[in-house]
Amino acid sequence: MEGRITSIQRMSIHDGPGIRSTVFLKGCNMRCQWCHNPETFSREPELEWLSGKCINCQECLPFCSSGALHLHAGTVQFNKSKCTACFKCIDACYAVALNTIGSDYTPQVLFDEVMQDKVFFDQSGGGVTFSGGEVILQTEFVLECLKLFKGANIHTALETNLLANSDKYMQLLPYVDLVMADLKLMDNASHKKWTAAGNEVVISNIKELDKTGKNYWLRTPVVPGVNHSQEAIEAIAVFVSGLNHLQKFELLPFHPLADSKYKNLGIANPFENVKAVSDTDLKSYQKILLKYNLV
Amino acid sequence: MEPLKEFKYQHRVQALRNKKLEQTQNKIKLEGLLDEDDYGRIAPPEDGWQSKANHPDGSFYGLDGWTDNFCDLMQNHSVYVDANDAFAGRWMYFMSRMRANKWNPDYPYTDLQDDIDKYDIICGIGDDAHFAPDYQMGVSLGWQGLLDKIQKYRAINTSDEQQKFYDAHERTIRSIQVWISHHIEEIERKIEVENDPELKGNLEEMLQVNKNILSAPPQTLREACQWIIWYHLASRTYNRDGAGGQIDTLLQPFYEKDLADGRIDHDKAVYYLACFLINDPIYWQLGGPDKDGNEQASDISYLILEAGDKINTSLNITVRVHDGMDQELFKRSVAYLIKNKNAWPRFSGDKALVEGFMKNGFDAATARQRIAVGCNWMSLPGQEYTMNDLVKVNMARVFEVAYNEMLDDQSKDNTCNDLWERFEAHLAIAVHTVANGIRHHLKYQKYNEPELILNLLSHGPLEKGLDVADGGAQFYNLSIDGAGLAVVADSLAALQQRIEQEQKVSWDEVDYHLKDDFEGADGERIRLLLKNSERYGQGNSLADGWADKIKDVFTALVRQETDEKKGHLFIPGFFSWANTVGFGKALGATPNGRKSKMPISHGANPNPGFTADAASLAMAGAIARIQPGYGNTAPMQWELDPSLAKEEHAELIGSIIKAHFEMGGTLINVNIMDKEKVLEAHKDPAKYPELVVRITGFTAYFSMLTPEFRQLVVDRILES
Repeated sequence: MEGRITSIQRMSIHDGPGIRSTVFLKGCNMRCQWCHNPETFSREPELEWLSGKCINCQECLPFCSSGALHLHAGTVQFNKSKCTACFKCIDACYAVALNTIGSDYTPQVLFDEVMQDKVFFDQSGGGVTFSGGEVILQTEFVLECLKLFKGANIHTALETNLLANSDKYMQLLPYVDLVMADLKLMDNASHKKWTAAGNEVVISNIKELDKTGKNYWLRTPVVPGVNHSQEAIEAIAVFVSGLNHLQKFELLPFHPLADSKYKNLGIANPFENVKAVSDTDLKSYQKILLKYNLV
Repeated sequence: MEPLKEFKYQHRVQALRNKKLEQTQNKIKLEGLLDEDDYGRIAPPEDGWQSKANHPDGSFYGLDGWTDNFCDLMQNHSVYVDANDAFAGRWMYFMSRMRANKWNPDYPYTDLQDDIDKYDIICGIGDDAHFAPDYQMGVSLGWQGLLDKIQKYRAINTSDEQQKFYDAHERTIRSIQVWISHHIEEIERKIEVENDPELKGNLEEMLQVNKNILSAPPQTLREACQWIIWYHLASRTYNRDGAGGQIDTLLQPFYEKDLADGRIDHDKAVYYLACFLINDPIYWQLGGPDKDGNEQASDISYLILEAGDKINTSLNITVRVHDGMDQELFKRSVAYLIKNKNAWPRFSGDKALVEGFMKNGFDAATARQRIAVGCNWMSLPGQEYTMNDLVKVNMARVFEVAYNEMLDDQSKDNTCNDLWERFEAHLAIAVHTVANGIRHHLKYQKYNEPELILNLLSHGPLEKGLDVADGGAQFYNLSIDGAGLAVVADSLAALQQRIEQEQKVSWDEVDYHLKDDFEGADGERIRLLLKNSERYGQGNSLADGWADKIKDVFTALVRQETDEKKGHLFIPGFFSWANTVGFGKALGATPNGRKSKMPISHGANPNPGFTADAASLAMAGAIARIQPGYGNTAPMQWELDPSLAKEEHAELIGSIIKAHFEMGGTLINVNIMDKEKVLEAHKDPAKYPELVVRITGFTAYFSMLTPEFRQLVVDRILES
């Protein structure tokens, strides 16, 4: 059995307690338009072109029969829409400007790679986090991985959008120490508009998760134009305050840091010109959180 | 962390800080840029003292040359008294650099010279200091006690040579006392003209302190600090010796006695310690196990950290991390590192250091006393002669010699195995050459540069009537460091991967581009192919495998130079100090994609940019893995990203430090530099006169470095 991942981010410090390795799984069942990880949308391997690394040696061109890599005004350019993902060009690129996004791992290989940082997990109270993409799209792989890590007494965490049949999550929970789930919007229509999926299943799964008594956090990305308003945040706060076993609720401000990722993949970034949420704005939402005892 | 009430001596400490900045800028103006430690040294007067030659080559050598010059300098040395300071004296003269030549030509080593040149070896012949004095002995005996000790052993060791040896040391001490006396006179003059009653009072206390310790040993914290300052200023002046000691344990009894006698309060102690630290960025260790393994940190350990925070200048304080350590002290140390972002403190790893040193045949109690008192090095204060950080084998040059030899040999095909065998053979010659250089140094150094000051606080030289380099020391634990580890490991990996495994290029193509410095057609592309090969530090990469082999062979070669009969024990380490630039300049392009004349890799560190992310963890693991393991260090130079270096991440940073030591690491030097700021400072150094950077084991004002060296630091930080 193999799982497909985009990367293993070592020394991850925002994906659970301590120093962690975060495994980003490839493939997602939402299409959040502000997503910071567009390379995880598709389950299929993709070509990434790093223009900043390209030295314009043009050695890749003969290997690209589709014309995705082409010359424009004497310099190499990449047209994603023409790329057939044959990856023949990569071998010719000595500058490492062309890379495959999406590698297949067996649970054991993944385990061995992550475990090189065990000493850091032990010292910091960290561990491994499975993120995405959406972990639930590769449930069997994730389950096998979790069993290996729990067997080695490593703290495990999931980052998930909770958009799937709850049975799938329940399979994983015995091997998970912490669940971190997103709650993006309470308004179903808006949720559907911005993520390409409604929130009924998400909200139902949060309630189910709450009933299990499992350690879990909820996180709301604060995104301009999406939920960057007192009303939207308060609606979420009202819901969250009714939960019984939630350990932590966090607001995660939008940052325009993913633009280069969109460019490297040759896909449009709908939030290209959107600015970061200011600390001042975030502080104003903290007042709402205080009102509902969520801080 | 800040005390609630205002620090009583803040204005004085601030005045000292401001003055130090002025002095540093003045030093740059007068002496130009310098790629080394700040040292706390100030520029001497323009018409100041000049050395006198006692040899036709224009230099001065031996007991007479050094004693005459040192005594003359002490007699004529300018005085330095600042009413804001708790202590008198500043370092001004680099006596060891005020001579035409470093080595007495009457003791040539021409038989070694060819190989020294061939392998670009820093052989250490004629180098000085770099072992630690026992300050405990100094504060126990005082100057008169040391004179008495000389008298005692003069009566036992009666040869003419030994009598001359004692004469020289006696003259040395008396000249230091003259120098102190001149300061006493200056303090008296200053008292006369000082109108501020508070400062006048301070000067009066300073006067009494200096009168009290002119002959007798110190009795109070202020006296102990002043005594230590006089000794290290003399030692610095003599030959740049910057070794410290276990400062908290050293000062603890004086502090506690002052407290018991009602002579001191918290603020006064912090003020003394701040003045003590600003005097010179000596290498002091804080915390760590005593002989029995129990933590020896005490209240004064915290006060020293607090004093460091008050002055927050160039500091070389190392906190010893061990299983039984005071966790609060560790926490506080990390907090100051993050708060000030000024490259202090550093951290040393007790576990690997002690276990490693014990492999030399020492017991645990002795090994625990071998503390962090130098740039990259540990020493048993007063007990050993080491040549720490003085002897370097440029392994990148050794690799180049082996590579060129293989390429020139047309009798067989080129292979990485052949290259490795040739590298091993040449490394053996290089290591043997440096070991012979050390032997030559030990034999003749007394005729070149006796250790007149360090002999005083060593156990043995006065007792035996022998210089510390000449059999006077108890132990000879001689250091040989390898440099350029990552260049060699990455080069071997690149050749193996790209030529032998993938067959993307041929030996001839690589050689063509190396000779062409990757400048010609396709040069940059081939350079990137090589540079993007598996690299040291990535974890189980081809280059990590080569690094393991290099570590094993270098360690074995150094160890086999040990001569137990003579008591000469050789200890390997990996360190390059600031020689990365010089070593690189003498080196052509290398198969790891490094261009000709560019600096070699830094100490045990991977080459910058070795991994796309998580460099901190990858490096901590890699460097722990290549430790030679006999009690000397292969330090981790850690460029910590300012986005991580926040108060809320203090525990995570602490856990990385502890994890490195858990894995076998020995020493961590940390920089926390904002990339934008360092780029701006590189463009206009005068804009950031207070910016301090940890270059290797030592810190320096960024503005004091040459543009070339600043570039090196900038590259390291940008690619971290």
